[in-house]
Amino acid sequence: MIHPRLVLPLALAALTAALAACSGAPPSPAPAAGGASPAAGTPAGAKKKIKIALIAKSSTNPVFLAARTGAEAAAKELGPKNGVEIEVAWLTPPQEDGQIQAQRIAQAVNEGADAVVISCSDAGKVTGAIDDAVGRGLAVMTFDSDAPQSKRFTFYGVDDLKTGQTTMAELATQMGGKGKVAVLQGNQNAPNLQKRVQGVREEAAKHPGIEIVGVFPNIETPQDAAAEVIRVNNAYPEIQGWAMVGGWPLFTRTLLDEIDPKRMKIVAVDALPVELPYVEKGLAPVLLAQPVYLWGYVSVSTIVDKLVLNKTIPERLPMELVRVSKENLGDWARQLKTWGFTDVPDKYLQMGASAK
Amino acid sequence: MKSFVQRALTSPAAGLLMVILLLGTILTLFAGTHVDRRTGVEVNNFLNSNTLVQTATDASFFAIMAVGATFVIISGGIDLSVGSVYALAGVTMALALRALAPSSDAATVLIGLGICVAVGLVCGVLNGLMVVTLPVHPFVITLGTMWIVRGLAFVISRAESIVVPASLTGMAKASLGLTETLYPVPMLMMIAAAVVGMVYLERTVMGRHIFAFGGNPEASRFAGLRLGRIQMGVFVVSGLTAGLAAFLGASFYGSASCGDAAGYELYVIASAVVGGASLTGGKGSAISAMLGALLIVLIRQSIRTLRLDQNYEWIVIGCAIIIAVVLDQGSARVAARRLAAAPTGGTR
Repeated sequence: MIHPRLVLPLALAALTAALAACSGAPPSPAPAAGGASPAAGTPAGAKKKIKIALIAKSSTNPVFLAARTGAEAAAKELGPKNGVEIEVAWLTPPQEDGQIQAQRIAQAVNEGADAVVISCSDAGKVTGAIDDAVGRGLAVMTFDSDAPQSKRFTFYGVDDLKTGQTTMAELATQMGGKGKVAVLQGNQNAPNLQKRVQGVREEAAKHPGIEIVGVFPNIETPQDAAAEVIRVNNAYPEIQGWAMVGGWPLFTRTLLDEIDPKRMKIVAVDALPVELPYVEKGLAPVLLAQPVYLWGYVSVSTIVDKLVLNKTIPERLPMELVRVSKENLGDWARQLKTWGFTDVPDKYLQMGASAK
Repeated sequence: MKSFVQRALTSPAAGLLMVILLLGTILTLFAGTHVDRRTGVEVNNFLNSNTLVQTATDASFFAIMAVGATFVIISGGIDLSVGSVYALAGVTMALALRALAPSSDAATVLIGLGICVAVGLVCGVLNGLMVVTLPVHPFVITLGTMWIVRGLAFVISRAESIVVPASLTGMAKASLGLTETLYPVPMLMMIAAAVVGMVYLERTVMGRHIFAFGGNPEASRFAGLRLGRIQMGVFVVSGLTAGLAAFLGASFYGSASCGDAAGYELYVIASAVVGGASLTGGKGSAISAMLGALLIVLIRQSIRTLRLDQNYEWIVIGCAIIIAVVLDQGSARVAARRLAAAPTGGTR
């Protein structure tokens, strides 16, 4: 008879075995001999397969899912073009955790990845793991949120200080240069968001009529972020504008019904399909879109440039923001559609299409 | 009388060890291979020294906390604040070391360890005091302190991720004569914590008092045990292990922030429960808690190694906790029936 204490472990083992059987993941073929990183001097074309570990901040944030789509598209497109097989391994934690990211980097190294592409939740936590990975021959680059003290070879993303400044400048314009505003910060540990908030503050100081009533951190899920905005609005009824350094609360439709666009204006970073009604309604007359699809696409193509084509990569690859307003809503919607977003409402896709 | 072998084979630790080996075998078979950059040798993606040590390292931080949490759970309580204590201890140490800038590596390590342990001790004493003196369940007390302590960490760190001195990272990442890419210190600390916890619980009078108190508080009171002291003690141990884990974690990863170990209390409790600790008190094992932590990390690892959707991780861990508690209650009922049916003076 099986002892009761053995039942749980055996049940877990059976569950895992079942998952293994269901996974259908065949053992990876061994890379060709001499498959050391081309960055270490292997001639272009000698490598048959490149494995890139993609580690974003959180797999529940839609902007990173778009980055994943971009990375996979780049792998599909650039692999045959350059005679290599590119595998993108998605190692993003379910929720933001710098320590888990560091563990995922180590896992990627131990499982034979050639490169790591990461958006750092906590630069301090991942710097050591990045340096270890580079020390063991991997090419590591960052996107969206950098680890500047690490040995990563490049960073791809927007200038966060400038992004914060632009957000505040746009909001000030929308508010006629006067009024009380709140700032939505997101994860207060993320260095890129801290810089954006710094940019917002610096820009606000240039507008004497603008007063910041507070900077409010939030859990970076749509519902939590929207709830935080509603709470703050109730506590500070004098608020007339929101500078959001990330678009989290606009990833739901909650605020569309909660806030009167005649009373309040929002300028936010990011412009995903679900946010477009906010532009149409005038509640968020301007969104500053990060082409999040390009985080993945450009990162993979940069890795190919470095490992396959042996190109020299600059230490910083700047990403430009796209200003989305009613004037270019249709163009932006179509751009999102071509990047693989399936939830772009048809009415936006039709906007201005006949004029093209 | 049961033989030693029979008892060993039917112990929770043996069962967990068996399943860890079984899972390891499955992963080895399905993991695939790659060519090691340094040696040019083809190695298994799972069965290689780096992955095995890394898996143990990943588990070590919450396994150490799970040893302390097991003390609390055996006593019939629960400590939800361990993740927050971890964060507060880490940022306090990092801030203090930044301010003090000790001149030698040894001083840095000793001061860092002292601060983390002291913060853990203070938090444990506060939890224990409130549990003993206030007529509120430990769940509520530690739910409150979880937020208070996390808030303190946020206020004093100003949400900054504070880099710790390199000497701390050098200590936590010492290879101890192994290959330079292997870092066994957290794993060894985890084993040491589990062994000390096991010896204390199973080989000392104070340890047996915890089992007695958790198993039957009323009987313990009539037997003259000092219940308040026992309760205070288990929360102090829990705080101390959280402080120790914070010291190791911040040193290993090179920084500390107020967001560290958020949600880890659930992994800690899950490790203890999967390791056989009874949430109604009176049962548990430090070694099994460590193995429970290893098993949970191995499940996480397997989900990625087998290239499954990582959201299975939460589902599997959730299933494991429910199954563990259900089995625990079932086996308790069976044991009670056997005890009732046994003749007077029956064996243990």
